[in-house]
Amino acid sequence: MAKKLGLLALAVLLGTTACGGASGPKKPAADVGAQPPVTEAGKGGTLTILSNQDFEHLDPARNWTMPQMDFGLRYLYRSLVTFKSEPGAASLEVVPDLATTTGEMADGGKTWTFTLKDGLKYEDGSPIKAADVKYNLERSFAPELPGGPNYHKLVLKDADAYKGPYKSGELASIETPDDKTIVFRLKRAVAEFPYYATLPSFSPVPKAKDTKEQYDNRVFSSGPYKIESYTRGKEMILVRNENWDPASDPARKALPDRIVVKQGLRQSVIDDRLIADQGEDQTAITYADVNGESFAKILNNPKVKARFHNEIRGCTDVLAMNTQKAPFDNAKFRFALQYAIDKEAYQTVKGGPAAGEIATAFLPPSLSGGVPQDTLKIPATGDVEKAKQLIAESGVSTPVKVKLHTSTGAKNEATALQESLKRVGVEVEINTYDPAVYYDTIGDTAKFEGMASYGWCQDYPSGSSFIPMMFDGRTITEKGNSGNVSLFKDQETMDKIDEIYAMTDLKAADQAWVQLDAALMQKAPMIPLTWERKPLLAGSKVAGAFGHLIWSGQFDYAALGVKQ
Amino acid sequence: MTVAIRSGRSPGRIALDRLRRDPAALFGGSIVALFVAVALAAPLLTAISGWDTQTFDKSAIDRSLGGVPYETFSAEHWLGVEPGTGRDVFARVVYGARISLLISVAATAVTVVAGTAAGLLAGYAGGRTDTILSRLMDLVMSFPSLIFMLALLSVAPDANRVLLLIAIMSMFSWPYVARIVRGQALSIKHREFVEAARVGGASGAHLLFRELLPNLSGPVLVYVTLAIPANIGTEAALSFLGVGVRPPTPSWGQMLDDSLKWYQVVPSYFIVPSLCLFLTVLAFTLLGDALRDALDPREARS
Amino acid sequence: MIAYLGRRVLAVAGVLLVICAVTFIIFFVLPSDPALHACGKTCTTEQVDAVRAEMGLDRPVHEQFAGYVAKAFTGDLGYSYQNSLPVWDLLADRLPVSVSLALGAAVLWLSGGVLVGLVSALRRGTGLDRVLMAGTLASASVPVYFTAMMLLLVVVQHFELLPYPDYVAITEDPGAWAGNLLLPWLTLASLYAAMYARQTRSSMIETMGEPYIRTARAKGLPERTVVVKHGMRAGLTPIVTIFGMDLGGLLAGAVITEHVFGLPGIGQLTYDAIFKADQPVVLGVTLLAAFFITVANLVVDLVYAVIDPRVRYA
Repeated sequence: MAKKLGLLALAVLLGTTACGGASGPKKPAADVGAQPPVTEAGKGGTLTILSNQDFEHLDPARNWTMPQMDFGLRYLYRSLVTFKSEPGAASLEVVPDLATTTGEMADGGKTWTFTLKDGLKYEDGSPIKAADVKYNLERSFAPELPGGPNYHKLVLKDADAYKGPYKSGELASIETPDDKTIVFRLKRAVAEFPYYATLPSFSPVPKAKDTKEQYDNRVFSSGPYKIESYTRGKEMILVRNENWDPASDPARKALPDRIVVKQGLRQSVIDDRLIADQGEDQTAITYADVNGESFAKILNNPKVKARFHNEIRGCTDVLAMNTQKAPFDNAKFRFALQYAIDKEAYQTVKGGPAAGEIATAFLPPSLSGGVPQDTLKIPATGDVEKAKQLIAESGVSTPVKVKLHTSTGAKNEATALQESLKRVGVEVEINTYDPAVYYDTIGDTAKFEGMASYGWCQDYPSGSSFIPMMFDGRTITEKGNSGNVSLFKDQETMDKIDEIYAMTDLKAADQAWVQLDAALMQKAPMIPLTWERKPLLAGSKVAGAFGHLIWSGQFDYAALGVKQ
Repeated sequence: MTVAIRSGRSPGRIALDRLRRDPAALFGGSIVALFVAVALAAPLLTAISGWDTQTFDKSAIDRSLGGVPYETFSAEHWLGVEPGTGRDVFARVVYGARISLLISVAATAVTVVAGTAAGLLAGYAGGRTDTILSRLMDLVMSFPSLIFMLALLSVAPDANRVLLLIAIMSMFSWPYVARIVRGQALSIKHREFVEAARVGGASGAHLLFRELLPNLSGPVLVYVTLAIPANIGTEAALSFLGVGVRPPTPSWGQMLDDSLKWYQVVPSYFIVPSLCLFLTVLAFTLLGDALRDALDPREARS
Repeated sequence: MIAYLGRRVLAVAGVLLVICAVTFIIFFVLPSDPALHACGKTCTTEQVDAVRAEMGLDRPVHEQFAGYVAKAFTGDLGYSYQNSLPVWDLLADRLPVSVSLALGAAVLWLSGGVLVGLVSALRRGTGLDRVLMAGTLASASVPVYFTAMMLLLVVVQHFELLPYPDYVAITEDPGAWAGNLLLPWLTLASLYAAMYARQTRSSMIETMGEPYIRTARAKGLPERTVVVKHGMRAGLTPIVTIFGMDLGGLLAGAVITEHVFGLPGIGQLTYDAIFKADQPVVLGVTLLAAFFITVANLVVDLVYAVIDPRVRYA
């Protein structure tokens, strides 16, 4: 789980900014999407969130990892636009939040204007102003407040040398002609700018309430709840923000009166408590993933199973290989390994089908029109004979020794890979690292060699949130290289990426990403392993629990309520 | 000492005779011997059982339930299989005994030798040597060892893990022996029999090896009997934190930590390494107790 | 005596300084870059550099160290990389949990362990001795995970006698405080009590065989006086030593027990900080732990001198 933490909501929008098409964000077809679950929940009650961790950053300028992005945006602050609170494909739709529309485009996509709704207030009753949204965006540039979303920083005009409001004053490319209007001037056309504006950076922070680094610990609320108390790593209590106007906010139901977050519990204890479903735990949910070890207890008991959710996350687990060093600089050898891996064994170690599907392409099914792609048609347990034959053709002589880097938590998964590769004469030495240093280690291009277990998650439903970040050779950075871990530099792939960027027909672009995916399966800089699911449990008196596709399968906190 | 004079046998001989007559010692000794034999004969045993430590047996686990084994114990897998992977638990326990015993015994040996030497030197020599050594002991003992072991082990990931673990585990534990030894040496130094020997013109070496060391063997043995199992536990903790031996090498510590999460669903998987650990610890303690009694020159049983 | 004390207190300061330096060096050579972590995903090299400068990590290590020590002397241990809270506040916040855990468990194991050890030593060779020693042997041999898990399984899940351990401050509700900590106390105590019983027994048996005890008996002193005044005084000396060291270590967090039971103590803080490469917190915890341990050692030495007249200051 720790493996993914740093990767959720990755800056996959980066590449798409060159698009320049006139079309806005993709709207899902009206007839798709499940019905919202039957809710008997009325207003009131206390919802308890049981967590094995503290929030990393709740400051909207710094909040960019998934569970707390969902939490912050649904409870504590509103952004200019947001995603719909619906199960299934309907959740992919962007709707206005603080703003009256999802943004007005001008100048071919280089200027975006948003107008705030009337009567919006903070928790103390003071009005929310356009300048406060601008101020928080400026804060997000400050090196004192690192960690937040990056997209806007790369496209706003004249922002390259900007160091935030504490050092550089105001940023000229964001204009607030009056208290209700905010105008963004961009370096280049960005048709998908409304997607950016769903992020916490586009939430308001009034200058008078800014406490810089300390703002993380006490966020000034513009959302339906405010912080009553927060002891980091232990407990947070939210109570209603009486100045929040439900009429202005169709996206958030805000049903419970109080929300209590208990932190620092062991996940296995959380699972056991939610399975037992006693007393206060009946109105509780888990914050992080249920342990794979708890699946048997859950799936064997129909009553518990009914409270189990495992929405697909839009993430692909991969095995990355350093394509610049031997033996993985040999494309034929890499391709042979596609046939050597026993993905079924890997999937089983991860927790079986409840934890994820076997991946046969890089793009998760949600990005290829809901249909899983499988161009190579390799059996789930691998094809050892074919693999051996391909290795012989590649000219790499076996046995060959290679290293596999993995984080501590994934060591059993790594042994599944080790065991499959042994079948074809590839001897794997497993190196495990603390999660704290794992990404620094494999992201250091000078030091990384061999293979690494890795994963990627979508930010929004398009192939552009996947392929360019994983396989564009121009995104490689010397240190902290976090996307193209394989160090894959292939001119043909890069040309194709540019070609798709230039497309204005998003349907055709989607198709082109799927084709590029198939071509990459042949070049095999990485090997897809599983498409993950998000396993979660809710107590029997929790209503409105469903995995939200945008929040990578997390419960949509906006819809959660407590049955009375 | 009176016993030794009366019977005219060497102290070691007496100790051995005593051990042979002590049922607890025999019990402990045989369990220790059994585990050592198992560890040594691991390849043979797995050849007989038919499963090695690494092969995944997918037919033994239920994929749809997160890899729960179908059967607890079976003719195929004597002690069942590991959930998730289907690896044979018997093979892993047997090979795990090798690593766990090797690391803990070796680390204890290094600790005891280094600690006794330092403690004797400090206690016996006294003066400035004592001051310097004592301050060094204070210093090392003041290190929160788990944090430091973790940090050190993660800086040097490419060395031989087993040697590294032994070195680092003894690096932080020698002062505990040294302190006990020093304390005992200090109090023994002023006792009648040592004073008497000194007055009688015994040499320094004689005093050290004949008078002090035998009297120190008791507390040091108590330490050893507790340190071996404690070191197995430390190895487990370090494996748990990701800096133990490299997978897929099995160790009891790794097994215990993996199985902790399964203790309700697959209790046998949790109980097997726990039981091995329990028995080994118990056996070493029993053996150590008996040994201490047997070696004690002042112990007169009859 | 005063001079001795002064020397030892100075030594404590020296030890803390050395430990601080060693910790600093270890974390400096760790292959983890806090600036990179703080910066977040897809940061450009320039952005990482700006963050590094902001965090003061671009300065040479000795300069950073000097700065840290100077501030530490004024009680400022810096700010957590993770949440920007003062490290001192984090420690102060978690300390009551660890102290509650350590002291409660210590009371249990010390009273239980020493009592069992004494009884066993004085009734040496009897059936009672054998039963008690067999019990401590078994108890000391059970892995701590196993004890904790079985307690949870039986007491909490099966019989529902206690809630899942969930720390409540003693000032808030003493009953709930004790109820929630009972299982962690028992877990820790069952391990330590056994060691203490064994140590007490062996030490008492040894002492009671000493010539001066025989002399005391020969003088016609009542057995009770012999045991309490003469025997226990010397016999319990080694217990004081281990107790000081154990308690000192535990005050700064029982990492595994806190982790298994999910108690938000110093041990849990340490665990999280190590895994998030939160250097200021790790440094703070290390210093706190080292402080407890060194002070415990000092106290042990002083007590040692008071109760065992054979030991004199060098």
